[in-house]
Amino acid sequence: MRLNHHRVGHLLSPYLDGELLPKEAVAVQEHLLECAACREVYDRLRATKALLGELPVAEPPAEFWTAVRAPRGFRFPLTARLPLRWPALRRRVAWVAAAGIVLLALALAPLIKGSLDRLHAAEIGVDLFVREHALQMSTQPLTDRAFLGVVAGDSDLVLVGEPARPGETAP
Amino acid sequence: MGRLAVMAPMAQPGIIRPGQYTPEEVARFEAIVHRYARHVYNIAYRMVGNEADAKDLSQEAFLRVYRALRRVEPGAPLESWLYRIVSNLYIDLLRKRPRARMESLDVPTETPRGEVLREFPDIASSPEAILEREHLDGAIQRALGTLSEELRLVVVLSDIEGFAYEEIAAILRVPLGTVKSRLHRARQILQQRLAPYIEARKRGWEG
Repeated sequence: MRLNHHRVGHLLSPYLDGELLPKEAVAVQEHLLECAACREVYDRLRATKALLGELPVAEPPAEFWTAVRAPRGFRFPLTARLPLRWPALRRRVAWVAAAGIVLLALALAPLIKGSLDRLHAAEIGVDLFVREHALQMSTQPLTDRAFLGVVAGDSDLVLVGEPARPGETAP
Repeated sequence: MGRLAVMAPMAQPGIIRPGQYTPEEVARFEAIVHRYARHVYNIAYRMVGNEADAKDLSQEAFLRVYRALRRVEPGAPLESWLYRIVSNLYIDLLRKRPRARMESLDVPTETPRGEVLREFPDIASSPEAILEREHLDGAIQRALGTLSEELRLVVVLSDIEGFAYEEIAAILRVPLGTVKSRLHRARQILQQRLAPYIEARKRGWEG
């Protein structure tokens, strides 16, 4: 595996960290042996990493330990105090409520629809019954006042001797 | 540390009992503090560069551990999770304090000849000063402080805390290639900033 300068430049950092595949590492190693420029770059990288690695571990101040050990002002939130029951209970209540609403809707739908139908039927029912009866039961349509009344009402005619609208005087 | 536990390994919710923490649980928390606090503080310190913020940041991180204690499986490795909390808290801190945010000095400046990185003359680079440990630490911390937070996080986790690339990728939730390229850039910038110290170090190796 031969490597060019540019490629090696990108591999030096992972090479330093031991993050290359074995064959890549060998190739970088070989290149470094014969290339002084890359060796120089590599040495700088190595020195940089070494400087950072030698930084002393920052020692936490004494009050840090007391504060960390006993988290001050910490109260269990409600959800933490009842970690199992509370969310589970809430979830269960939500499910029951949702199911209740669905059931209620299913039960009420035909009831509401039925009563609306009945109300509607009651409105037109009487009128319809009278009309049907008047039209079907008439044996002599031309002299039957009920029959003529329905026909006249439908076509907005006025029977002789009767007012056109309630309260008006007969023509 | 060869694990990739991205999430804190959670115990079954069924075994959680209501009420205050038992003495055993308090002891477990103590053990976690004992094991991780120094690392967490150190990372925070290298990130923010001052004691007060480092203290606040790591205290907040452990407060979160304390709150989540019952959801954390006893004995599970917490490194990734804990260090991700720290890095998230650090990013939150920067967001909350946009005025305190420094202009990132490692962003290349546009010039007619293309993008260039700014050069920083080190005001105290006499040979004696370079050899002083304390002075060196200060210089490194300042150099870290000039990196953008993205680069700083990666370099702190890699070169100061010694995490592998894959672990850093898991902690920061970025692809492996991103870790590599950020680390590469961060080291290039640090090299420029710390040039006199690096030369001294190299001479030390050669001599």
